[in-house]
Amino acid sequence: MIMSANALLDGAVVYYAPGGSWSPRLADAVVAATEAEAAALEVARAAAEARGEVVEPELSPVGTDEAGRLVPSHYRERIRALGPTIRRDLGPQARGEHAHVSL
Amino acid sequence: MKLLDRHGWTTSDLVPVPIEALGDGVAVLLPNTTHAADLLPLQDRLQLVAIDFPKFSDGRGFSIARALRAQGYEGRLRATGALIPDQFAFALQVGFDEIEITDEQAARQPLGQWLQALTAIHDSYQNGEDGNASILTRRRYAAEAAA
Amino acid sequence: MYRYDEFDAAVVRDRVAQFREQVARRLDGSLTEEEFTPLRLMNGLYLQLHAYMLRIAVPYGTLNSRQLRQLAMIADRWDRGYGHFTTRQNLQLNWPKLADVPDILDALAEVEMHCIQTSGNCIRNVTADHFAGVAADEIEDPRPTAELIRQWSTLHPEFSFLPRKFKIAVTGAARDRAAVAVHDIGLRIVRNEAGEVGYRVLVGGGLGRTPMIGKVIRDFLPRTELLAFLEAIMRVYNLEGRRDNKYKARIKILVHEIGTDAFIARVEEEYAKLDGPGVNADPAEVARIAAYFAPPAYETLPAVSQGFEAAKARDPDFARFAATNLFPHKIPGYTAITVSVKPIGAPPGDASSDQMRALADLAERYSADELRITHVQNVVLPHVKLDDVHALWSALVEAGLETPNAGLITDIIACPGMDYCALATARSIPIAQAIATRFADAERQALIGELGIKISGCINACGHHHVGVIGILGLDKAGVENYQITLGGDPGEQAALGQRLGPGIDAEAVPEAIERIVDTYLEIRSGADEAFIDTVRRVGLDPFRPALQPRESILEAA
Repeated sequence: MIMSANALLDGAVVYYAPGGSWSPRLADAVVAATEAEAAALEVARAAAEARGEVVEPELSPVGTDEAGRLVPSHYRERIRALGPTIRRDLGPQARGEHAHVSL
Repeated sequence: MKLLDRHGWTTSDLVPVPIEALGDGVAVLLPNTTHAADLLPLQDRLQLVAIDFPKFSDGRGFSIARALRAQGYEGRLRATGALIPDQFAFALQVGFDEIEITDEQAARQPLGQWLQALTAIHDSYQNGEDGNASILTRRRYAAEAAA
Repeated sequence: MYRYDEFDAAVVRDRVAQFREQVARRLDGSLTEEEFTPLRLMNGLYLQLHAYMLRIAVPYGTLNSRQLRQLAMIADRWDRGYGHFTTRQNLQLNWPKLADVPDILDALAEVEMHCIQTSGNCIRNVTADHFAGVAADEIEDPRPTAELIRQWSTLHPEFSFLPRKFKIAVTGAARDRAAVAVHDIGLRIVRNEAGEVGYRVLVGGGLGRTPMIGKVIRDFLPRTELLAFLEAIMRVYNLEGRRDNKYKARIKILVHEIGTDAFIARVEEEYAKLDGPGVNADPAEVARIAAYFAPPAYETLPAVSQGFEAAKARDPDFARFAATNLFPHKIPGYTAITVSVKPIGAPPGDASSDQMRALADLAERYSADELRITHVQNVVLPHVKLDDVHALWSALVEAGLETPNAGLITDIIACPGMDYCALATARSIPIAQAIATRFADAERQALIGELGIKISGCINACGHHHVGVIGILGLDKAGVENYQITLGGDPGEQAALGQRLGPGIDAEAVPEAIERIVDTYLEIRSGADEAFIDTVRRVGLDPFRPALQPRESILEAA
C-alpha cells in the first residue's frame, strides 16, 4: 500500500515519502508491505488528515513492474499518476513523469 | 465553554436544561430535531432557549430559530455546539442572540475572527431578525426616495 | 440581461473578500480542513483527481461578450487555457491554485460574475431554457424568475447548511428544454384560465443513485407568492431531509419516504405560518428585474432571407449546418444558432480560450452581445439575423466551432469522468470520443436524426445518463471499467428514465454496441421521420437487446 493525497496549495497529486514528507514522484512513496506497516501507514494517514498539511490523504494498493518500479494497482491511481488520459499535455505525464505507468 | 454575542464575549447566569428536566425552569436546551411548535405552551415564560448544533454542517437549528421567532418567542436564543465564525452572521439573522463555543475553538478562532466575520457581507438579500433591511427592501426605499 | 446594481456588486465584492480571508485562515490553521471544505465548496472550489477545480456560475446560462472574454483571460492567466461547459450551464476550470482563487474571484467580480454556491449543501445555480426569450412556444421568459430566485437564494442565512445540494430549474415554454422534472424544484411557467401567469411547482426530481421524476405539488402558484412558497419547501427540507446518509439526503428521498400527499401537507403547513410579505418580492422589484430581459431592438425583416437561401444553395457544408444547428426564432428573419462544442473526437464541452474569444466576438457582432450556455454543453447565439448566418458560420469554421451536429448522435453529453473527477468510477470522455469518431460521417448522422447520447462516469449522473435516449453509465467492475447502456430516457415534458438494456460491457465494445443499436433503429423505424426516442417508445427495449451480444455469438446462433 502507498499513501497519496493532493497538495494543499495547488491540488497536485503527492505521495507520502520517508520522513513524513510528500513527493510528486511515485518512486519516492513509502510502501507498506506487511499488515503492521499498513497499520502504521493508516495511523500516518489519520495524522496527516488531522494536521491538514495535505488534502484527502488515502491509502491505495500498489505493485511493481518487471523493472521493480512501483505501479498503482487500480486504474484510478494510475490516472492520478499520469494526468487526464485525453489530454497528454497536462499533468505529470506532460513532464515525462511516471512514463512506465500505463492505463 | 464561552459565550459570544454581536458585541463580543458575554456571560449568562442561565443554565439551559433538557425539556424533560425543565419543570418550572426558564432555560431549556433543545436537540435540533425539536418541532418549534412544541414550545408554544412554554415559550412565554422561557428566558433562554438553547438549540444544539451537533455539527456545524447541520443547519437544522437555523430553521428552528426562525420558526421560534415567527411564532412569537421573545426570549434569548442561543446556538450551542460546533458553529464556525462564518455562520455567525447567519445565526444572528435567523434570530439567535448568542453562540456558545468550546474553549478549544475560542483559542483557535479568537474573538477578532468572529467579529470580523459578522461584517464580512454588508448587505443581505433576505430579511432577517437582526433588524437589518434586506437588499430588496432597500431598493424599494431608494426607488421611493428617488420618486 | 441582468446588470448588477450597487447592492449586487457589493455582495459579490464582499464575498470575494470573505473568501480571501477564509483562505488565509485555512493556511494559518485557524480553520481546519473540515471547517474550510464547506466554505470553499460554497465558493465553487472542488478538489479533483489532479488538481482543484473551480466552478464559475453562469446564472441561467446567460453571458455577454465582455464576460466571456474575461473567462478566456482567466483561463489563460490562472489555468491551462481552456474551460469546460457543464450540464448545469456553468463553466469549470480544472487547474486553479488555491492561493490564486481570490484573484480569480476578483477578476470575475469585475464583470459581474462569481462562483457563489456552485457547490456545497446549498441552493445551486438556477438553470433555465437556453432558448429563453426567443422560442415561439414560450409563455414567458423564465430568466426574470430565475434571477429573482438567484437573489433570494444567495447567502440565505437559513438555507446554507442543507442536508445536501439543491438544484432549481425554470422553464417558460410548452417544450421543456430545462429538464425541470429531474430537479429538486422544477418550475413551469403556466397560465390559468383567467390568463394570469403563475407556476406549476414540481418537487423531488433528480438523477444519481435513485433517479426520480418530480411530483407536482402545486398546479398553479400565483406569481407573487413564489419566494414564500419556495421558503416553505426549503424549510421542510432543511428540517426533515435525512442527514444520516449522504446518498439518501436529497429532497426526492424525503418526498418518496413520507409520500407526496404528506409532503404537500407539510409544505402548506409551513407556508401558512410564513410571513409572506416579508419574503415575497414586491411587484416593483419583479418589474425592475424583468426590464433587464427586454428583447433587443429587432429589425423588421422578411421571414425568408434571400442571402441565407442563396448561401445554402451554393455551399453544401453551410446547408448542412443550417439544417442542424438553427432554432426557429419567434421574430421573422431571425434565428438562434447552436454552436456545437462537440467537435468530433474532442472532449465534449471543452473550449479553448481562443475559441471563447471567437465566440465573444461573434456574440457582440451578430447576436446583440448575448450568448447562452446550454445544459447539453453547447453555446447558443440567440439573436442572429438569417442574413448574417453565413458570415457567422464562416467565422465559426475558422475557430473550429462549426460542427453541424446539434442534437445528433455525435452531440454527446459527457461528464468529465475519471479523467478529472474524484467521484468517478470510470472514464466517460474517451467513450464519447470513440462513439463520435465512429459516427463522424455527416450524411449518416443526418440519416439517423435526433439522438441524444448522455454519458456519466459514475452513479452521480452528472452526465444525465438517466434521461438520455441512449444513456451510458461507467462503473468499476472488478478493477476494470465497465459500461451499462440504458434506453428510452427523456429530459423534457414527457420525462422518462432510461431502462437498462443488459449487462455492462467493456469500453472497447461500446462503439460497436451503439452501432448495432442504431442499425436496429434504422431497420425498424416506421419511417425517416420517426425519431429514435419515438421508435423506442413504440417497440420497447427487446428489439435492441441483441445489440449488446458480441457479434460472434449472434453469428453462431444463426
